[in-house]
Amino acid sequence: MKLTLKIWRQENAKTKGKLVTYKLSDLSPDTSFLEMLDVLNEQLATKGEPVVEFDHDCREGICGQCSLVINGKAHGPEEHYTTCQTHLRSFNDGDTITIEPFRANSFPVIRDLKVDRSAMDRIIQAGGYISSFTGMAPEANSMPIHHDIAESAFDSAACIGCGACVATCKNSSAALFVSAKIGHLVKLPQGQVERNERVLWMVNAHDDEGFGSCTNIGACAMVCPQEVQLLDITRMNYEYNRAVCLSAD
Amino acid sequence: MAVKKGLFKTSVGRKNLMAVTGLFIIFFLIIHLVGNLILVIPSTFFPIEFWGDVENTHDMYNAYSHFLVHFWPVTFVAWILYAAIIIHVIDALLITLQNRKSSGEKYQVTNNSTSIWYSRNMGVLGTVIGVFIVLHMAQFWLPYKVLKTEHDLYDLVLSTFKVWWFVLIYEIGIIALGFHLIHGIESAHRSLGIYPKKAMRILKYIALYFSLIMAILYAIIPIILYFK
Repeated sequence: MKLTLKIWRQENAKTKGKLVTYKLSDLSPDTSFLEMLDVLNEQLATKGEPVVEFDHDCREGICGQCSLVINGKAHGPEEHYTTCQTHLRSFNDGDTITIEPFRANSFPVIRDLKVDRSAMDRIIQAGGYISSFTGMAPEANSMPIHHDIAESAFDSAACIGCGACVATCKNSSAALFVSAKIGHLVKLPQGQVERNERVLWMVNAHDDEGFGSCTNIGACAMVCPQEVQLLDITRMNYEYNRAVCLSAD
Repeated sequence: MAVKKGLFKTSVGRKNLMAVTGLFIIFFLIIHLVGNLILVIPSTFFPIEFWGDVENTHDMYNAYSHFLVHFWPVTFVAWILYAAIIIHVIDALLITLQNRKSSGEKYQVTNNSTSIWYSRNMGVLGTVIGVFIVLHMAQFWLPYKVLKTEHDLYDLVLSTFKVWWFVLIYEIGIIALGFHLIHGIESAHRSLGIYPKKAMRILKYIALYFSLIMAILYAIIPIILYFK
């Protein structure tokens, strides 16, 4: 396959970036998208040019480290995929592919396609945990949880925190990400201790990090690699209003 | 202890305010529609005994308008409505400004396949509706209720809709309202979040059909009056 790549190159958050065009040939359709960038970087390194920096880790779709907006869509053309699981067979021979970083004011560019997503970590630190005794793992059946509830909690817990929801959202709202964590913990008995405080802490942290308001457009849920549902945001809004009425403070 | 920032100062709270004011405006829109459907009651239906032997549309519509202006509870609710519209607009501006600030640098290539155009353009649709409301109030509310220069509202309405481009402006306003409602109704209920899961599943369809019925019924009034 032959591909023309237009890749966003940017020195750092303070400088202006621009799209730079590269041409690649002799690519196999079974090459993964990130392997293609590896091929490009090898060529650039051989020529002594600075390589294209991008985030990646597990390359098997579970860590949430890979990002990239490919032809205007976070994680590429396939539905509910991660970039690392996208392969060149999703494109046609001779295509021009534009690759940009995840864009949001709260995701400053570190270099090229690499952005700082630590704002999401700070939201988790604000309340995305449970208070629990440490020590040995407890006996698995000591706290009975209905299968449907466990499954539903797991659907929300599946969020890998990649930030595609923020990158896709026209308002750069992290509501889907925050609501996935709130939905995960509120459905389980372990999450009840901080039920009211958690949602207030996390929504406040979300706003303090500069993310926008959710306007229920739903594009986030359409690109989410883990298929976290828009219903989680609705549940978060319910939990928030409930907490405002009920929390002790 | 969690810091409560006040219900309307957070990203979720501001959307709650949009939802509450929006739903109140929808409540008004239903009543406004029912009232104005008097205009299109065919003359064969008269005299209507239930309304004290009202003879024709002209008398019935003017009696209805007179009632609205002179019955104090209606005036009281009207003031709540004006406040709701103003708060809805100010809150929308605050949310939009914050969201513009949040979204940072624009993408060079955009792909809109993951969402519907009217859900992304609520501000544009809202602006069209806002301009329409100003015109609409200047035409009827101002001379009839405030300045009291017009006493026969039925004649004023009928003469207005004999002008084709007024009909066109109204249809544009109503179409914008229809699309604004489809997303608005779903979004408002999602923002409040106080509904069971099953209701949320059918919400999309309720919003669509409700908006469609509202828009069609509103839209036929100017057209029927034009040909009357």
